[in-house]
Amino acid sequence: MPPSIHPVHLITVLRQKSLTPAIVFLTSRRSCDEALQAFEHAPDRLPPARQESITAVLDELTAIYPSLHDHPLRKIVTACGVAAHHAGHLPSWKIAIEELMRRGCLDAVFATTTLAAGVDFPARTVVLTQSGVRRDQDFTDLTIAEVAQISGRAGRRGKDSVGFAIVTPSPYMDLGILIRGLTGRPEPVDSQFIITYPMVLNLLKAHPLDHIQSILAKSFAQYQMNAQAVHLEHRIEKLHAKLESYKPRECSDWLTQWSAYDHATRQTAMKLQARRHHPPEVRARLPYLTPGRVVAFPRFRGIVLRRYRSRGQRHEMVTILRKGGVMAESPVADVMGVIDRTFDFAPAPAFPWATPEALAWLTQQLEDLPKHLPLLTVPPAPDEGEGELVKSLGDLFPCPTCPCRPTCGKEFKAANTMKQEWLHHTRTVQSLRTGIWHKFQERADILQDLGYLDPAFKLTADGEWARLIRIDFSLLLTELIRTQAFHAVTPATLAGLMACIAYENDRPASFPRITAALANLVATARRMAEALAPYDDPPLLRADVGGLAERWVGDTTVTWAQLCRSTSMAEGDIYRLLSRTLEYLSQVHSLQATHPDLATVAAEALSRIRRGVLEELP
Amino acid sequence: MTRDEMERALAELPFRLLRRLGRAIAGPLALRMGKRRLIHTIMAGAEANGARIEAAIRTHEAEERALAAGPGPAAPASAEHRVERPADLRALLEGIGVPEPRPFVPDDWQVEAVEALERGDVIVSVPTGSGKTYVAVEATRRAMHEDRTVVYTSPLKALSNTKYTEFCKIFGPELVGIITGDRRDNPAAPILIMTTEILRNLLYDAAGGEIDVRLDTLGLVIIDESQFLADPERGVVWEETIIFCPSQARLLLLSASIGNPQELAAWLSSIRPTPCHLVRHQHRSVPLRAGYLHPNGKLTPLFRTVAMPPSPSQAVLHPEAKRLFTMFEEDTLYTRRSG
Ligand SMILES: Nc1ncnc2c1ncn2[C@@H]1O[C@H](COP(=O)(O)OP(=O)(O)O)[C@@H](O)[C@H]1O
Ligand SMILES: [Mg+2]
Repeated sequence: MPPSIHPVHLITVLRQKSLTPAIVFLTSRRSCDEALQAFEHAPDRLPPARQESITAVLDELTAIYPSLHDHPLRKIVTACGVAAHHAGHLPSWKIAIEELMRRGCLDAVFATTTLAAGVDFPARTVVLTQSGVRRDQDFTDLTIAEVAQISGRAGRRGKDSVGFAIVTPSPYMDLGILIRGLTGRPEPVDSQFIITYPMVLNLLKAHPLDHIQSILAKSFAQYQMNAQAVHLEHRIEKLHAKLESYKPRECSDWLTQWSAYDHATRQTAMKLQARRHHPPEVRARLPYLTPGRVVAFPRFRGIVLRRYRSRGQRHEMVTILRKGGVMAESPVADVMGVIDRTFDFAPAPAFPWATPEALAWLTQQLEDLPKHLPLLTVPPAPDEGEGELVKSLGDLFPCPTCPCRPTCGKEFKAANTMKQEWLHHTRTVQSLRTGIWHKFQERADILQDLGYLDPAFKLTADGEWARLIRIDFSLLLTELIRTQAFHAVTPATLAGLMACIAYENDRPASFPRITAALANLVATARRMAEALAPYDDPPLLRADVGGLAERWVGDTTVTWAQLCRSTSMAEGDIYRLLSRTLEYLSQVHSLQATHPDLATVAAEALSRIRRGVLEELP
Repeated sequence: MTRDEMERALAELPFRLLRRLGRAIAGPLALRMGKRRLIHTIMAGAEANGARIEAAIRTHEAEERALAAGPGPAAPASAEHRVERPADLRALLEGIGVPEPRPFVPDDWQVEAVEALERGDVIVSVPTGSGKTYVAVEATRRAMHEDRTVVYTSPLKALSNTKYTEFCKIFGPELVGIITGDRRDNPAAPILIMTTEILRNLLYDAAGGEIDVRLDTLGLVIIDESQFLADPERGVVWEETIIFCPSQARLLLLSASIGNPQELAAWLSSIRPTPCHLVRHQHRSVPLRAGYLHPNGKLTPLFRTVAMPPSPSQAVLHPEAKRLFTMFEEDTLYTRRSG
């Protein structure tokens, strides 16, 4: 038996049971195309009347979208009444398929799961063949919301009395995920608010700095964080009350005293151990490996959750939180560098060493860290003798004669844990309440250093035009403009670079050669992106895709078919690349008032891009 | 249970359960045995495993009884017929087809949403395919009556285009315009379709002092697919759009079902001049049923009940779907291991 059902067989069964029209969700564009190709050898053909109605619709649409005229898939779609619909196709082709579906001309469409949110055509049946979806390079489980979005396409109001979600298995499918998706409540929507450079410039254009905190406070992010903070404040109050109950004492700062002693005891024990077992350069790093510290390893980065030494082991270890919430245990000697960044979090006494909220927060922080961060220069470890270490400990012993000492000694551990928790929560609340504002200030400071904002945080002349660039990587683009990188640039080269910046997909393909001028410009952009890396994540900046935009703009006699033949990239991707390039160029074009020459070049590039297929669509 | 009774009951068990029992008793070798040898092997181990064998038989019998008492006309319970289970499949497919045409009557929630917009902002969170567009269109109509402009945003250019065509048909092309990152058609029209990024940019410009009549007379902002607020890359744009939305305009957020619509509504109420009204329900206007299709072409209900279970904890698989899926898993696992 084949591992999963053959597409032709699948459609035959669906037709037999009157379950068509159906949308079959597959994981990749490839599998959609292959499913469609399978029909070429199938004996079943639509009755002539139905074939004619498909032809009629396609002909009607060809009047609006000429590229449909000799589309290679026309024949099979007409003959078999099935189609594929995914991002590798031109928008016009997708519109045609959607229209055919809407008019009930097709029996099935093979579509990618990623597209579920972007299609607006329903069917009687949806077929689920996988429980995962490819995102970037990873394969992740479908969320409940995504399954709901898919199954929501089943059952057309007014055309169906019932809709169907049909699950058909394939290797590696997790049925549990689909069942949860079909019957569960969708996930909550959480804020993804971030401070972007265009946001800073545009807010400061409209409002003085001291109004901005209250504007940012209106974000959903702040609303959600306030709710968390209130929750924590309740905990803080409770802890506070509990700590109060440890009174009265001879002295008011017994906890501080004992905690200093406790700290010193542990430090000394560790230092003694370290002296015996670790080389000096590792030892020097030890004091920095505190919980919350970001550290670098040869191949990854992580946040220290705790430092410990297993019984009977000589070497100290650290528990590291890695990307995606993965935990790792490493010997301290493996830590390659200490990064100048720490996060305060609420620790937990047992695995995973942090509260679940803290862990989620830290994982997020780790994701958000810029790619390049400065390493700390660690001063060499002081070379104390063992005797000195032990002696200094004796001096620290608190209250040798106090009558309260036994009680304090007994209660110290519990009280101190509570106090630490209290401290952490207090700090977390602080950062929840002011985190967004601080991030804003941080970005504003950077813009000030770069000269977009004056000392009073008003827009400088550069800031005034830079605020019109509202795309990802705006900083890279504005810095390139300021450094005259586009001096005497041609429309083709400008379009080429915009394509390189705009295209964020690393799907490999072959492309036409890029000119030396574009290669130079990309190299300049790369250097600039590297210099800006501490402030903004650099774009992928793959040079090869620029060749396509350059060719399309540089030679207006090139036809769409010729352009497609010059690369192995899918038609839909080329279209998307050029249409993103258009958006970026339009932003450059908006700088007419301050950069007339550059804007003219951009205008020329824009008008040259808009031809053929790129003109036929909204 | 005597040995004879046990042997007879084992012969009635589906092959899958026999294999599982056999594996538990005799190890992986059992996976290569035929039915007769399996029963023989299991019986050979019956001394030590009596309780386990009996338990397996009882569970199976109980499942069979439950199935026979389940929805739909009772099925003949013999082993030969269990495979197709025509009764259950019939129940699954019952009523399939095109409903009687009925005059259009808006649903209560649709009317409620349109009316609530008279008093303040509205969030609609209902399943996909319920008819959120109707709310958008009616709200637009009312705003037009009051000579106010309307902005409709969606996350994708493709969706914007579809809506543009739809709105042109309803309101006439001279009243509708579209603006996307690279194209503008009739950008001074009173009804503007755009991507959310474009609206955010217009709001930036307006705040920065550029005068835009469209925003001065703006009466309604419709944000479709507003669950995009949670998109890791673009979500921030949705938030900005909502924060910077002029206070005289009403906000209409249309969203697929989400987990926390009350939280969104509470947030809107806290930052906007009018309280936000939440319209939500989980009811699908066209009922959904789930089926399981085995690679050999066999179709069965996915769940024991024909209607969708109300929550994952109440989702019980149809025994046939469960049997087939287990078989599929075992087959693919086996080929994966040997291959
Ligand atoms: N009250 C109603 N009665 C019957 N059909 C309706 C009603 N409201 C909407 N519809 C139909 O339901 C279908 C789905 O509507 P749509 O607005 O696209 O759904 P969504 O909620 O996903 O945006 C449309 O074909 C529409 O004509
Ligand atoms: Mg909709």
